[in-house]
Amino acid sequence: MASQRRAGRENLFIRYLILGGWALFCLVPVLWFLSIGFRPRTEIITPRPIYFPTFSLDAWHMIWEDWPMAKYLRNSVAAIIGSVIIDLVLAIPAAYSLARYEYRGRDDIGFYILSTRMMAPAIVAIPIFFLFRNMGLLDTIWALMLIYAAINLSVVTWIIRSYMLDIPKELEDAARTDGAGDLRILWEIIIPTILPGIITAAVIAMIFAINEFLFTLLIASTPDAYTMSVALANFTGGSDGVIYNAIALVAFLAFVPVFIVVVLIQKHLSRGLTMGAVKG
Amino acid sequence: MARIELKGIEKRWGAVVGVRDVDLDIADEELVVFLGPSGCGKTTTMRMIAGLEDPTEGDVVMDDEVMNEVDARDRDVAMVFQGYALYPNMSIYENIRFPLRMRDVPKGEQDKLVREAAGMVELEDYLDRKPGALSGGQRQRAALARAIVRKPKVFLMDEPLSNLDAKLRQAMRVQIKHLQRQLKITTVYVTHDQIEAMTLADRIVIMQNGAIQQIGTPDEIYNDPANTFVAGFIGSPPMNLIKGQVEGGTFRAPGCEVAGIAMADGNVTLGVRPEDCVVGGEANLTARVYGMEPTGDMTFLTLTVDGTHFEVKADRDYRADLESEVTVAFDQSRIYFFDAETGARIR
Amino acid sequence: MADAGTIGSVKPLRRRSKRMKKWFPYLLVAPAVIYLLGITLYPGVYAAVQSFYAVKFGPWRPVGWENYIDLWNDREFWAALWNTLVIGSISLTVQCVLALTLAFYAYRDPWITGWRIIFLIPMLFMPSAVAFIYKLAFLDGRIFSDILIRLGFITENIAITSSTYWSRFLLIIADVWQWTPFLFIIFVAALQGQDEEIEEAARLDGAKWGQIFWNVSLPLMKPVIAVALILRGIDITTMFTNVFIITKGGPGGETETISYFIYRTGFKLFNFGYASAASVIMLILTIIVAQLIVKRAFKSGRD
Repeated sequence: MASQRRAGRENLFIRYLILGGWALFCLVPVLWFLSIGFRPRTEIITPRPIYFPTFSLDAWHMIWEDWPMAKYLRNSVAAIIGSVIIDLVLAIPAAYSLARYEYRGRDDIGFYILSTRMMAPAIVAIPIFFLFRNMGLLDTIWALMLIYAAINLSVVTWIIRSYMLDIPKELEDAARTDGAGDLRILWEIIIPTILPGIITAAVIAMIFAINEFLFTLLIASTPDAYTMSVALANFTGGSDGVIYNAIALVAFLAFVPVFIVVVLIQKHLSRGLTMGAVKG
Repeated sequence: MARIELKGIEKRWGAVVGVRDVDLDIADEELVVFLGPSGCGKTTTMRMIAGLEDPTEGDVVMDDEVMNEVDARDRDVAMVFQGYALYPNMSIYENIRFPLRMRDVPKGEQDKLVREAAGMVELEDYLDRKPGALSGGQRQRAALARAIVRKPKVFLMDEPLSNLDAKLRQAMRVQIKHLQRQLKITTVYVTHDQIEAMTLADRIVIMQNGAIQQIGTPDEIYNDPANTFVAGFIGSPPMNLIKGQVEGGTFRAPGCEVAGIAMADGNVTLGVRPEDCVVGGEANLTARVYGMEPTGDMTFLTLTVDGTHFEVKADRDYRADLESEVTVAFDQSRIYFFDAETGARIR
Repeated sequence: MADAGTIGSVKPLRRRSKRMKKWFPYLLVAPAVIYLLGITLYPGVYAAVQSFYAVKFGPWRPVGWENYIDLWNDREFWAALWNTLVIGSISLTVQCVLALTLAFYAYRDPWITGWRIIFLIPMLFMPSAVAFIYKLAFLDGRIFSDILIRLGFITENIAITSSTYWSRFLLIIADVWQWTPFLFIIFVAALQGQDEEIEEAARLDGAKWGQIFWNVSLPLMKPVIAVALILRGIDITTMFTNVFIITKGGPGGETETISYFIYRTGFKLFNFGYASAASVIMLILTIIVAQLIVKRAFKSGRD
C-alpha cells in the first residue's frame, strides 16, 4: 500500500479542480435523488422542476404499505445469500485445484471458468427461461439463487484463486509433514489464512447479484417473486406514472449496506474487481 | 530409531537433472549436513526424504522400509523450513499442538507435550501469541518446537538459520545441536553456510550440480578434501589453488616453487590453506601484496601472483605495504595435490 | 521422555494410490465446472437448436436456416449491433480517459482515501436505480433542460426522446457516471502498486509529474489498462438495464442494443426461434473475442 506518496505542488489548482469537479458530479445526482425520496408524491414530476421541495415521508409509507416491500427484501436477501453460499462451496475447492495442483488441462479449465464471466446474460436468457419454465421453477427464489450463483461463480473462483496463490508453499509442506491431509489443509489452514479474500469474493458476488436485472426480470415475472432491482422497474401505478420517490428510497435502502461493506473491504476492491489480476 | 538409506536417487524434471546418483547411508541419531551452493540439489534431496518430492529413480529407505510410495504425512518426519512456515491463523500453542492433533495423540497428553516442547526452546511465555507477533528468532524457535513436539523419527531442517542475523545464528546453532543430542533424533540439515556445517555435523555431505562431491566428518572434509571443489568450498578464506607442473620432484608455477615432491611428472593443481602459510621464511611463493586486513586476532593478507589472488593468514602484528613484494613459505606437511583436469585429489 | 518415534498412534503406512493422486485435482474442480457447463453448454446447445425452428408458444416448427437468413436481412438486427458498437465504444473511451485522468491526480493526493470513497458511490447503486435517476433528470423531470434554460443556453425543452443523439447521450452519460469508478479504482490500485523509487528517481532527474505519468507510469500500466478495458468492455456490450428503463430502444430503435434486441424479439414479439438465432450469433462473437483478446490479456495480466 502506498505510504505518503509525495504529491508535489505543481498544478494544485488544476488537481483539485478536476477531482473536486468529479466529486460534485458524483454527489449531486445522489443527493438530488435522495431528496426525491423524501418528497411528497405531488412534487416529483411537475411542469417546472421544484428546487426547494417540501419534506415528506410519503414514500416510506408507500413502499411498506402499497407494495410488499418486505417480501422484495426477503427475496433479494435469500436469493443473494443462497447464491453466495453455493458459490463459495463450489469455488473454494476449484480455486485450490487451480492454484496448487499441476495437471493437464488446468489452464484450459481455468480459462473456461474465466470465460463464463464474459458471457452476456442475453445469450442464455431465452434457454434459461424455457429451462426454468419446464422445471416449474419460474418465480421461485431457487431459480434466482441458481442463476446468480452461475453468473458469479467464475468471479468468486478467480478471486479466491488469486489469494491462494499468495500463500507460501512452505506452509502446506509444513502441514503435510505434520500429518495433515489435503482436505484438512484446505479447511484449517488455507481458508482461515485467505479469509479477507473470501470476504472480498463474497462481497463482489453479492453486489453483482443485487444488480442483476435481465435474468431477474425474466424469471421473477410475478410481483410475489420480485427482488429489489426488478421491483423498482415496476413501481408504477395508475395516473402517477413512475413513482420516483419510492424508487429513490428503495435505491437508498439497497445502497447503504453495500456502501458500508465496500468501504470496509476497499483495500481489496481492485483485486476483487479484476478477479485477481490487479492487486491493490 | 531411524536409519535412512538413499539408494541411487535421481531427480529429473524433463531434461533438467536436479539430483543424480545419490547413495548415502545415515545412521541412527546421526546429524548429517547437506552442504553446497544454491542449486546444488541439497534441498531437493532432503525433500525426497520428506516425501514432498518423488525421486525419478532410486529408493528412499527408512529403517529397511522403502518409502517411495508413502505420503509425506505418514513418514514420521518433522521439518523446519527456512521461512518457518508457522500457521498464521493459529496461536503458537496451536501451532505446536497441530502435529499432535494430526496423530490423534490423546488430549490429556497434548498439553503436556506442547509445554514441554515450548520449554525446551524457551517459548513458554509466548504460547498465546500468533506468529505475526513474534520476532524472527522466536518464530524460529516456535518452528523448532513444532518439529520437536512429536518426537519424530527424523528431523529435516532446510536452512533454518539463514533468515536470522549473525549473532542469533550462532546462539541457535548451539541450541539446535544441543537439542539434537538430547533428543537423539536422526537429523538431516541443509545449508550453504560452511560454518554451520562444520560446527553441527557428525558428517557432511557436500554437493554440487546435483552430485555428491564428498561424504565425511568435518575433519575429513577439511583436512582430506576429495577434490578441488570441496577444498575451495570449505575454509574461510578457502584453500589456495595453484595450477602448475611437477618436474623432477619439484612443483613449479609462475612465482611458485616447491621442492621435494615425490610424484610423477605432469600437470597438477597445488592446494594449500591460508593458515598453513608463513610470511617470510623459505620462499615457496613470491608475490605482491594486494590487500592487507588486520582483524585484531590475525591479519588477512591477499597477494597477487600470476594474475590470481592468494590468501595468507598472517600473525596479528604483521603489517605490509600495498604493492610490496613478499615471500611465503608453505607447511610441507599440509600441501595437497589435485589432478589438473578432473580436480580429483591425488595426494 | 519418550523415545523418538513413539508419540501418537502409529498409523499403518498409507500408500496413496497413484490413481487417486492423479484424479484428485480434477475432482476438486469438477463440481464448479459441471455447474458452469449447465449454464453455458446446455443453454448454448438449446439456443442453437431452437434457432433452427420457428417458435412461438405452440409446437416448434422447423425452418432450417430461415432465422439466420432473416437476421442477415434484418435492418434492426444490424442496427442493434451498430448501436451497441457506437454507444459502447464512445462510453468506454470516455470512461477510460476520465478514469486515467482522475487516477493521475488522485493517487498521490493525501486525500486519496476520501476521493476513492466518494468516487465509489455511483458504482454502488443498483444499475436500475441509476437508470431511474437519469430518466427522471433528463426525461420525466426535465431538470437538465430546465437548468440549461435558466442558464440561457437554450430556450425550450430539449426533446430527448425523439432525438437520436440526445438519447444516446443519455445512455452514455448514465453509463459513464456509474462505471467510471470501476476503472478508477483499478487504475489507482495499479499506480499505487508501482515502485515509488522509480518515480522519485525521475523526479530527481527533473521530470514534472505529468511527464513522469506519461513516460513512466502509463507504459507500465498497459497490461492493467488492457484487463480493465476488457472487463468493462464486455459488460458494456451487454448493456440492457439502461436501455430497458430509460429509452426502451430509443427513437425508432436507435438506442437498441443487441441485448435489448434479443429481449424484445423473444419476450415482446415472442419470436423465440429468431431471438435464439441472434443469441447464437452473439455467442459466437463472444467466443471469438474471448479467444483472441482475453486469453492473451489475462495470461500476461495475471500472476
